[in-house]
Amino acid sequence: MGVRVKTGHTLLAAALGLGMAFGAQAGKYPDITSLPDLKINAAKAELGKRLFFDRRISGDAGIACSDCHKPENGYAHPDALSPGYPGNGHFRNSPSVINAVHKKVWMHDGRLGTNLNDVTREMLTEDYIMNMDMRVMQERAKQDPKYVQMFKDAGYGEPSNGSIRKAIPEYLKTLTSVNAPIDTGKMSASAKRGQKLFEGKAGCIQCHNGPLATDGKAYNTGVPENFDIFLDPMNHHAFIAFAMFQGIEDYMNLKRDPGYYNITMDAADTGRFVTPSLRELKYSAPYMHNGMIKSLYDVVGFYNRGGGKDSRKDSRLKPLKLGKQDIKDLVAFLESMSGDPLTSGQHVWKDPYPAEYPVIENWTQVKN
Amino acid sequence: MSNVIQTPTLLAAAITTALLAGCAGQATSESTAAPAAEKSMAAAPMAMAGPAPLAPLGEPPIPPDNLQSPAKIELGKILFFDPRLGGDASTGCSTCHEPDQGWAWAEDFSRGYPGTVHWRNSQTIINSAYFPRQFWAGSASSNESQARGAARGGVAGNGEADIMEARLRVIPEYVERFREAFGTQWPIVRDAWRAIASFERTLVQRDTPLDKYLLGDKSALDADQLKGKEIFEGKGGCIQCHNGAITSDQDFHNIGIPPNKRWEEDGLAQITFRFEQYAKGQTQEGYRKAKSDWGFYYRSKNAWDKGKFRTAPLRYLKYTAPYMHNGVFYTLEEVVDFYDRGGFDEDGRTTLFPENKSSLIKPLGLTDDEKGALIAFLESMSGEEMLMDKPAMPEYAPLFTLAELEAAQEAK
Repeated sequence: MGVRVKTGHTLLAAALGLGMAFGAQAGKYPDITSLPDLKINAAKAELGKRLFFDRRISGDAGIACSDCHKPENGYAHPDALSPGYPGNGHFRNSPSVINAVHKKVWMHDGRLGTNLNDVTREMLTEDYIMNMDMRVMQERAKQDPKYVQMFKDAGYGEPSNGSIRKAIPEYLKTLTSVNAPIDTGKMSASAKRGQKLFEGKAGCIQCHNGPLATDGKAYNTGVPENFDIFLDPMNHHAFIAFAMFQGIEDYMNLKRDPGYYNITMDAADTGRFVTPSLRELKYSAPYMHNGMIKSLYDVVGFYNRGGGKDSRKDSRLKPLKLGKQDIKDLVAFLESMSGDPLTSGQHVWKDPYPAEYPVIENWTQVKN
Repeated sequence: MSNVIQTPTLLAAAITTALLAGCAGQATSESTAAPAAEKSMAAAPMAMAGPAPLAPLGEPPIPPDNLQSPAKIELGKILFFDPRLGGDASTGCSTCHEPDQGWAWAEDFSRGYPGTVHWRNSQTIINSAYFPRQFWAGSASSNESQARGAARGGVAGNGEADIMEARLRVIPEYVERFREAFGTQWPIVRDAWRAIASFERTLVQRDTPLDKYLLGDKSALDADQLKGKEIFEGKGGCIQCHNGAITSDQDFHNIGIPPNKRWEEDGLAQITFRFEQYAKGQTQEGYRKAKSDWGFYYRSKNAWDKGKFRTAPLRYLKYTAPYMHNGVFYTLEEVVDFYDRGGFDEDGRTTLFPENKSSLIKPLGLTDDEKGALIAFLESMSGEEMLMDKPAMPEYAPLFTLAELEAAQEAK
């Protein structure tokens, strides 16, 4: 068995489940049900929305959250590797942040497992992502009268970096699947056939289960390395900075992404990545932690061949012997987990930002 | 001396000043010819001895833990000009210390990281090697730590050590040069600051007209400049703080510089102003009410240090306008007028901490001729402009070949 039991009952249960034959898996795993409703504070979410699209919350005011999590790409990025901060590249694919609020673990290697406030802080301050000194960020927000009003309306008082890290997660609560056929029940015949394969012969549900179609755990599926990480020095130096900071030994000689090894420092975990959610995949190509697979057809093809090549690959990955129609049906099912695009003004901040920070009048007399 | 002694370093500086002052008798006794100067000098609490005399500049001190080497200096020169030693690879040392802007920046505030503006004037690198402490409030204790601090500051380089070090490692020429200069397998970012400091220790100017004069060439200063020297050492009282070979007593004084009006007129500058209060560990109350740079206070947290800044060196100042910690004066004429008025600008503005204003700053009663002579003398502290072409920047290159990556993939 590829998965070693580490901690807690959940993992143990999952590990026990792996012994089952592929045939009758439905029922052994949590169904892909609708996501629970969330209580959203409209004023806080609106503030978070303005922040999410505002380039001024990165160090050199060059990129916003939305530059790597683009609405028209399902809040992911169409490049295999995320662009990263100006002056460097990146080494992983930008994941969709739709439904991120429902996750329990974030980042492809699962290194963040607390809450979206921490994730937001990490994205803002990480040197190869937004490189923001949050003290500058706070003072920028205080210089924009619109923010001053919005923070007040949201009940946060004056703008602060702490409130920014609350408001963005509140906005992320609004980015959830809307009208996905799997939730509405309006699935095509092909998608329904695909679901049967998904839960049966193809065995996808062993990892892709529950409301988000992910068990939140890390596996090695043998996805090939993206050599652009190492051949492009802009990406490579972001990777080196990351690996150095994470304390991964021999980071100058690494020729692969160590993945979940980063968390456990156990060689057996090399090359494992957290099962991604399958919701909203329709818009977020390319796929996998490093963007190495371009389309959903190719993803299904990859699993149909039994995944990639890796001595530590999960032993459950075997050729699936799916036919052409099976593959089409599986793709149809995967697409049925995507809802309406979240690209209207309801989700996207469309008003322009001021080109300059207005002056605080009568500055010598007012309190800072 | 007007300053309360804060730390052993300052104490040592004060003792040194007193010792050196033993040989200052000639200069001061000469200068007492002018009655106004007598008054001014008498006001100085340090009546027991005069300030250190002006002196020719010697060799810069070299720290024993970072000795000079040609490889290090050459590496430091390239790094000094390399914008990749900053957050977004756009802002390096030379970005705010441009050789053709006096190795400083020709605006009141230094330009700052993209998306920001700085809040203090960029100081020249020329002769920085002689200073035991760097920055306007003396917050760095060496050129090495100044380079590190500037590269990392939120409104300066905004670079984190990890990414800057990683960048150096994917530039093969740097890998080679660091190995040669420091013997390391891979560049270490701390060594970048050491190399830059070594380079900066070569940026010295010791052949100014004043140096030549002090070394015995009596023709090096003209009559006007000699008259200015007399005022500098006498009626102007400048030498009370601007003394010794480096023309600075290395102490902190409030001379009455008013806040920069840009803080009232420029939103970006207001952002940085508040950020600095926050970043420098102001109290909540201080953050709310500060309307000027509190200077040395941020380090000592003593109320009597509000508005004090390190005595700026006067060497190379011909090329480093504007002047003062916040760049409020664009010409030497304005500077001299400011002192002549006893520390007030043309609108009568002065420090927001008049209670800390140095008692050495008093109306001087200089005539126009005297002001002109003083400026002529100040300019004799600068030699030829020191220009330098930007070196070629070494390029990024992959560390691995495709074949190596394919072999690694095969071995997975």
